[in-house]
Amino acid sequence: MSIGALAQSIINGFSSAGIYILVALGLTLVLSIVNIVQLSHGEIYMIGAYSVYYMVVSLGLNFFLALVISTLLIGGLGIILERLCFRPFRGQPDRAMIISIGLILVLQNVVLSIAGGTPRSYSSPFTGVLKILGTSISWERLVILLIGFGLLAILFLFVRMTKTGQAMLAISQDREGAALQGININRISAVAMFLGCGLAAIGGALVGSLFSISPTMGSFALMKGIAVIILGGLGSIPGAVVGGLILGLIDGIMPVLATTYVAGLIGFGAIIIILIFRPQGIWGHE
Amino acid sequence: MLKIEGLTKYFGGLAAVSELDMSVNSGDIAGLIGPNGAGKTTVFNLVTGFLRPTKGQVTFEGKDITAKKPHSIADKGMVRTFQSTNIFADFTVLKNIVLACHLKPKIGLWETVFHTRSSQHKEKDILQRSQKILGMVGMEAMADITAGTLAHGHKRLLGIAIALAAEPKLLLLDEPLSGMNAEEVSETMGVINRLWQSGITILLIEHNMRAAMNLCQRIVVLNFGKKIAEGSPEEIKGNNDVIQAYLGAG
Amino acid sequence: MNKKLLIQILSCGVLTVLIFFLPLFFPGLYVTHVLILIVINIILASSLRLINLSGQMSLAHGGMMTIGAYTSTLLVMKLGISSWAAILLAGFSAAIIACLVGFPFVRLKGIYFSMVTIFLAQMVTLTVQQWRSMTGGSSGIYNIPRPDPIVIPGILNITFTSSVNCYYLVLVILLVSLIMLYAIEHSRIGLTFRGIQQSDSLAESVGMNTTGFKVLAFSIGCFFPGLTGGFYSQYIMAINPDTFGFLFAIYILIYMIVGGSGKFIGPILGAFILTMLPEVMRPLKQFQPFFFAGVLMLVIFLMPEGIVGLPRRLKVVAGRLFKEREERA
Repeated sequence: MSIGALAQSIINGFSSAGIYILVALGLTLVLSIVNIVQLSHGEIYMIGAYSVYYMVVSLGLNFFLALVISTLLIGGLGIILERLCFRPFRGQPDRAMIISIGLILVLQNVVLSIAGGTPRSYSSPFTGVLKILGTSISWERLVILLIGFGLLAILFLFVRMTKTGQAMLAISQDREGAALQGININRISAVAMFLGCGLAAIGGALVGSLFSISPTMGSFALMKGIAVIILGGLGSIPGAVVGGLILGLIDGIMPVLATTYVAGLIGFGAIIIILIFRPQGIWGHE
Repeated sequence: MLKIEGLTKYFGGLAAVSELDMSVNSGDIAGLIGPNGAGKTTVFNLVTGFLRPTKGQVTFEGKDITAKKPHSIADKGMVRTFQSTNIFADFTVLKNIVLACHLKPKIGLWETVFHTRSSQHKEKDILQRSQKILGMVGMEAMADITAGTLAHGHKRLLGIAIALAAEPKLLLLDEPLSGMNAEEVSETMGVINRLWQSGITILLIEHNMRAAMNLCQRIVVLNFGKKIAEGSPEEIKGNNDVIQAYLGAG
Repeated sequence: MNKKLLIQILSCGVLTVLIFFLPLFFPGLYVTHVLILIVINIILASSLRLINLSGQMSLAHGGMMTIGAYTSTLLVMKLGISSWAAILLAGFSAAIIACLVGFPFVRLKGIYFSMVTIFLAQMVTLTVQQWRSMTGGSSGIYNIPRPDPIVIPGILNITFTSSVNCYYLVLVILLVSLIMLYAIEHSRIGLTFRGIQQSDSLAESVGMNTTGFKVLAFSIGCFFPGLTGGFYSQYIMAINPDTFGFLFAIYILIYMIVGGSGKFIGPILGAFILTMLPEVMRPLKQFQPFFFAGVLMLVIFLMPEGIVGLPRRLKVVAGRLFKEREERA
């Protein structure tokens, strides 16, 4: 196997990891701060893809502009959803999960009704290849990688350096303690929802630009998000990053070294092993 | 009966319990006291399998039970109650006890699904035993009340009754008197005394100093996870280290 | 025999006769198909409830159906095993897999458990898709034979080429399943499940092996979708890995929640009503998911006990109305 193919597969792995991390991070933020399994997270991802698609194709907006606007709008949608659907069930995560199931049906079918079921695609804003070290690497993947990890870095700084970010970290580690310290759970939950949905939307838009969009693309994202969280740590933010990296790299590199099936099997096996020996995940807390 | 050696538990960098050595002999009624956060409930959790010790060994009736699962420790005869009220809130008081009679007698899975004659027999025995246990804690009249609606003091008593259903040889009571008014306290103290007289070895954690001194023959004092004193109630009362510990904790 | 018991037995009898003769009142392939679906959904929702009794919400039922369907199909078509044994083994295969993954899974609480069951179902689908040599991959398996005829020479010769006979077969499966589920729930095992759901730690402290019982609940609960998957594969005569996906598992959960997870009859009502309603509403079929979501939200927000809680709620409302009248008078 050539260096070029290996390099491309590594880049693919990292760009997949980037997407997985974005999705899983969004899911974890909501899980650990709003304390619910937001099962319609995949649909938010899908809506992100459609939103950018429409803005680029029908409104002729620049891709990045569409991305920013979509993210803000969908983040706002997240805040509304939190206020209406999830806040009444604070402290009852089972019921909130069922509400999120209802949301899956609503969101997916709204898009289905408006846009129809056939997958669509549009030409990626990033074409061509980067020639480096004698091999060619597609720009698309590279940009996704850069955007993904760039966002991660921004998020990391946000959590470390702003009061809101610190508050989010505090809540995810110890809810009661954080509340006692006077942290406004309502406000921080809204921020977490905004970020969580925003990240999912960005992930969906990036994947949509690379591949195609369809109203059912959300379930793939949800499944990957869940797999990453289980592996990396339930309720753990660093865990989402670690888990995403591992699974993304496996999915990127394995198909080249072996087959896609083996990739899936290894991922599956890793998770089962983690569940047996450390059910809270690599980084999770009980 | 119960021997604890070198019991240690670290949470991160913090030692909640540190090199604890103590023992409880069959027929004792002993107390474990100490200021808030001294690690008393942690000791209970460690000893009954709810927490895994970082170091140390727990032996019950000569058998090593360190880090065994709580249900198998209960099977061996050591049962604990809980500091925060823990009952089967949706069931009636009687049903709480009936369910808690899980261990004795053992009813097989097939037996109970097919409602065999022998399982019906055992269930009848369980019903009788449950009513007797309710009598022991003075709650027979409340048998049909939904447990969740009980007054706090009665919920605590129910917790003790539930533990009794497992026919413990050693009963670990975690702050049985917490949140009780004076009348409930003396009622419950009477219950605890009667249980001890009937042959159950008792180790209790209690914040109510007077009650602990009155009930227990021997007392172990904990502070910051370490044992700082051990002896009869009189010895403990006069012990300077103990007094300092409580004053210091404010 | 008191009057109440007599009425209960009579109404059960009438109900049984009605259910049995339904295909005669409403003949037609499509109606029979819907009836079969209703019965299947009742079995699935009721078995989901057993798992729920122990305080766990499983979303793996779709995956278990897939396991059952493929196990039965492969046993019949590749090993030539009788379809009856295959259906039974389909149930056991699902239960065994549930048991194996159950041990690590049940250590996780609440929503985390639900998440890993979603993951499990996904893994089943992926495995089926990838293991092309065995399962035919994404295209699935066709020409699955109907159940073997039941032949007692001289007396009985029942074939299953007609859908109506399949309906009767699945009714028998339903009856057996409901009896089993009812018996388990009302035994000490069911009592233990409910105790564990109310307080895990308390149950442990008096000697209940909570991990063991939770795995038991999960395994038994997953036996029935396995069984049903086996039947369904033989009835529909074709299967593919996507038939029983995530959405399928969600719908079963909705049947249970809307019907009411607190009583035995809840999932039965929920499955019946919510399977039938879309058929009655056929012209509005595109709005079905919205309708379902709406009903679900309504129940969760206003009536969390589900339909079975309706009589009690109406009584409370009626009581309040009458009390106001009294006070005014």
